[in-house]
Amino acid sequence: MREQLQTLISEAEEAIKSVTDLANLDEIRVQYLGKKGALTEVMKTLGKLSQEERPKAGQVINEAKQAVQGLLNDKKRELDNAKLMQKLAEETVDVTLPGRGVDLGSLHPVTRTLNRIETLFSKAGFDVETGPEIEDDWHNFEALNIPETHPARAMHDTFYINEKTVLRTHTSGVQIRTMENKQPPLRIIAPGRVYRCDSDQTHTPMFHQVEGLIVEKSASFAQLRALLIEFLKEFFEDENLKTRFRPSYFPFTEPSAEVDIATDLFGDGRWIEVLGCGMVHPNVLQNVGIDPDEYTGLAFGLGVERLAMLRYNVKDLRQFFENDLRFLQQFK
Amino acid sequence: MKFSENWLREWTSPDWTTEQLSEELSLAGLEVDDVEPVAGAFTNVVVGHVLSVEKHPDADKLNVTQVDVGDVEPVQIVCGAKNVVAGMKACCAKVGAVLPGDFKIKKAKLRGVPSHGMLCGASEIGLPDDGVDGLHVLPNDAPVGMDLREYLDLNDSSIDVDLTPNRADCFSVMGIARDVHAISGAELKTPFSENDMAGTADCQVAIEVTDAVACPKYLGCTVTGFNTQAQTPLWMKQRLERSGLRPLSLVVDITNYVLLEMGQPMHAFDLNKLQGAVQVRKANAGEKLTTLDEKEVVLEDDTLVIADDSGAIALAGIMGGLSTSVTDDTTAIFFECAHFNRLAITGKARKYGLHTDSSMRFERGVDPLLPERALNRALALFTEVAGGEVSKVNAVISDENLPKAAVITLRKETLDKRLGVEVDSQQVNDIFQRLGFGVEENAAGWNMHAPSYRFDMAIEMDLVEEVGRVFGYNNLPETPLHAPMTLNELPESEQELMALKIALVQRGYNEVVTYSFVEESKQKCLAPDLPYVLVQNPISDDMKAMRTTLFPGLLQSVAYNQNRQQPRVRLFESGLVFYKNDQDPTGATQVPMIGGAVVGKVAASGWDETERAVDFFDVKGDVETLLRMSHQVGKIRFEACSHPALHPGQSASLIKDGKEVGIIGQLHPQWVKTMGVNGNVFLFQIRQDALMTMEVPCAEAISKFPEVQRDLAFVVENELSVQSLLDAVMVESDILRSVDIFDIYRGQGIGEDQKSVALTLKIQHQERTLQDDEVDQLVAQILESAKQKVNAVLR
Repeated sequence: MREQLQTLISEAEEAIKSVTDLANLDEIRVQYLGKKGALTEVMKTLGKLSQEERPKAGQVINEAKQAVQGLLNDKKRELDNAKLMQKLAEETVDVTLPGRGVDLGSLHPVTRTLNRIETLFSKAGFDVETGPEIEDDWHNFEALNIPETHPARAMHDTFYINEKTVLRTHTSGVQIRTMENKQPPLRIIAPGRVYRCDSDQTHTPMFHQVEGLIVEKSASFAQLRALLIEFLKEFFEDENLKTRFRPSYFPFTEPSAEVDIATDLFGDGRWIEVLGCGMVHPNVLQNVGIDPDEYTGLAFGLGVERLAMLRYNVKDLRQFFENDLRFLQQFK
Repeated sequence: MKFSENWLREWTSPDWTTEQLSEELSLAGLEVDDVEPVAGAFTNVVVGHVLSVEKHPDADKLNVTQVDVGDVEPVQIVCGAKNVVAGMKACCAKVGAVLPGDFKIKKAKLRGVPSHGMLCGASEIGLPDDGVDGLHVLPNDAPVGMDLREYLDLNDSSIDVDLTPNRADCFSVMGIARDVHAISGAELKTPFSENDMAGTADCQVAIEVTDAVACPKYLGCTVTGFNTQAQTPLWMKQRLERSGLRPLSLVVDITNYVLLEMGQPMHAFDLNKLQGAVQVRKANAGEKLTTLDEKEVVLEDDTLVIADDSGAIALAGIMGGLSTSVTDDTTAIFFECAHFNRLAITGKARKYGLHTDSSMRFERGVDPLLPERALNRALALFTEVAGGEVSKVNAVISDENLPKAAVITLRKETLDKRLGVEVDSQQVNDIFQRLGFGVEENAAGWNMHAPSYRFDMAIEMDLVEEVGRVFGYNNLPETPLHAPMTLNELPESEQELMALKIALVQRGYNEVVTYSFVEESKQKCLAPDLPYVLVQNPISDDMKAMRTTLFPGLLQSVAYNQNRQQPRVRLFESGLVFYKNDQDPTGATQVPMIGGAVVGKVAASGWDETERAVDFFDVKGDVETLLRMSHQVGKIRFEACSHPALHPGQSASLIKDGKEVGIIGQLHPQWVKTMGVNGNVFLFQIRQDALMTMEVPCAEAISKFPEVQRDLAFVVENELSVQSLLDAVMVESDILRSVDIFDIYRGQGIGEDQKSVALTLKIQHQERTLQDDEVDQLVAQILESAKQKVNAVLR
């Protein structure tokens, strides 16, 4: 019997070796280990043996069965593995091809700049206020201490809608609207579009400003200096940014100043004007019913395009309003 | 205000270089726009006397000259200039001279003839263009051999200061000098003696002022018997030129010189052309005047004029008239030197289109005490050059109408508090004394008496500014603001515009900023029914109408990019639109909108994407994203609409609470050409206020019980909107969780004018497992509702 079993194992081994797919392998399993398989048949002969011989013979048969099962298992593992390998090979992609569905647009550089300004000031407790762009004479001029005969009116290149309404020439009118509606202390910024009747290489008839206003009991020019110098350093991320305050004139502030910056980052260290500021003129406070002896106002106005041009190396102001995708896409 | 630096330094000369001076002026509030040297950088150029001129033996266009340059022997110079003649005085660069551009003059031979130097034209040594093609000709009395820089006073610069409207007191060399004195402390001196020049003979011209408010001071006197051939001296011409004025004739040059030097406009009339008394009055409406620049103006009755018996002879404070002007033949002069009220002159120059140096000064204000001094200065200069007899001065002065110098209280406490620094009282005294104020100290601070030329001084803060300005803004401390110890509001139920913008950016949109004024005709095409506002003085005709829709600007940007090889364009903009509304104080309802325009392929680029063009539902998806972000799904509904800008079969209104808050659709094909775009452009715009509220999430427990799903396919009329079917199917129920569309089918098995809409219902109870009959009951209810409301039947 031993020899018979050995022959069966050898036969099985031969058969398994030549198998290439799982179905054939299973046929071989049935052929040897199935209900009518060769080894099963040998097992059936156990009954004919004596009580003493049975355990020994049983063990031998079992060992034969296990040997064949082992060969089957090994082959199955081998075939499974080959199948997996094939599947993986078939599924291989070129990972250097671009990913799908990438379609990123862009925020306009003016928005980007405004957002930066708003974020910086909001951390110092400034709220954002807005106002209308078609503005009445009172809010754009009169209340800001610019009466009809004031020479500053001629300097404003105003777009008129009619005698009493204009396209706002600055965001300063939002100062008035805010102070009319809210009680001090106040800290606000007012970003938005403004309009001047002027169009050439360095002027567009529409541009953006951010107006800032502080009304507090003990606000001082020294505080205005600190605030704006810090803002400019943070905005341009340049601790070494140089600033200078020059006396200037705005009808709605007294004292008034313009601020220049100089940096090695751009402009070859030349002084470049970036903003106007001052202490709110007492007449303006009185116009909105705030006692100028009790409260002091600080105000400033930032030219957004100017800041954006310096920050983002934009050389031509007009690019902001041409909306060329090749320009816009650089601000992703 | 442009002036010669050397002229200024005659009045006050701090120990500063030109660069320092200009920096300090800027830091004092007199912003320097430009500093220009009056000549190029050169050395060793002298006044040469051309002794002889002979033809070059070997060159037609060259001459051989002998030039006396003040040395022992004359030098021989070969010269190619056409205007060279024997006897002339010219600028001569000697051997060793260096001309602008580092051009060195060496001994040379020109066509075989030795040449020891160079005779120069204006451009070769960086002098202003003298209009001569050839050598710059010097006056006959120029001293031979004198260094040209010294002779022509060329170590000088023209400084251009951009004056703010409040600093009219600096519209003169004297005024700038006063400020330089104040900031530097350098001595301030009047570089001429101020004598009373009035003569003894009566002035023949009577003066009648009928409007003393407009003209509180009018001085006049005559000069006769002067040398009519007298010319403006070279130094005066130079100063005028370096201050931006062209020399014209002696009388005009002198009035201009005084204007620049002291800031007082004057006028000279030809005495012999005056008829009767000189009157200062308002013009009669329709009265005509031909001004010096030979322009006829028709006057209005609010305009102040100088007149005589013949009528108006000058526009007061603006420009003289032609009929009484001084000419080469003038033998007798009437000088006018007056103070006009600022308000009497303001706006008149603009009205008549006659902006002059005089009107600019009177509009902003002139020192009322100046006319006497300025008249004397002009008379002194004139008689020094041309001689002549000066008459007595006729003066009509209305003291009560002259502006009064302000007396202003300055409190020490206010000064320190506003500037944010404690300023030493003695320093304050010094500053104001140097500024020409009368300083009167008291317990709380000071009473400051402003000088007559500082009419910009009115309130305490004006004085605070003066201290800051002279002390130096940049010397003030930097004091941080006090931080408020309160937290900012953070309303979670308000949507942020920036979040919506970023959502669009992430869906491939590029933000644009377009002008708020658009072409009227285009707006009429796209929004014919909306009342709009026009700009009275537009920059151009196609920027006249304030936009009532974002579409014209968006479409213009689409066209701009399509014309630049960008076939795929996705843009959005946020900003106001303006509806004319007479009820609003500004005349318009101003509404913030957000809108977009899309054209081209649906995908940016792709190696395996379909080449499909963008369609309605792509853009609707973008809009629905915004609605979802702002929790408006279900609150804002899409309804088919007809809109003049949009394709009638592909346009929808966004309806919230029964009101239209936005529109979406394809640009109507009829406008494609008009708008200059290509292809199917899809547009949308939504009122921002419709998107600005959100809900703070309120979580509900997730049901632990199984969800039942039922698919139902309904057959409905083709015309029926799916929304109507959904509305019918969404019956009131606690267990109906959601209804989703999974298929739309037309064709075999379905009637010609019908479609099949397949829906998935999800049904679940929050607290228990549903019984079959509960679900069946709901489905029955849905079928009934669909049948009733939209005549839908199960397929």
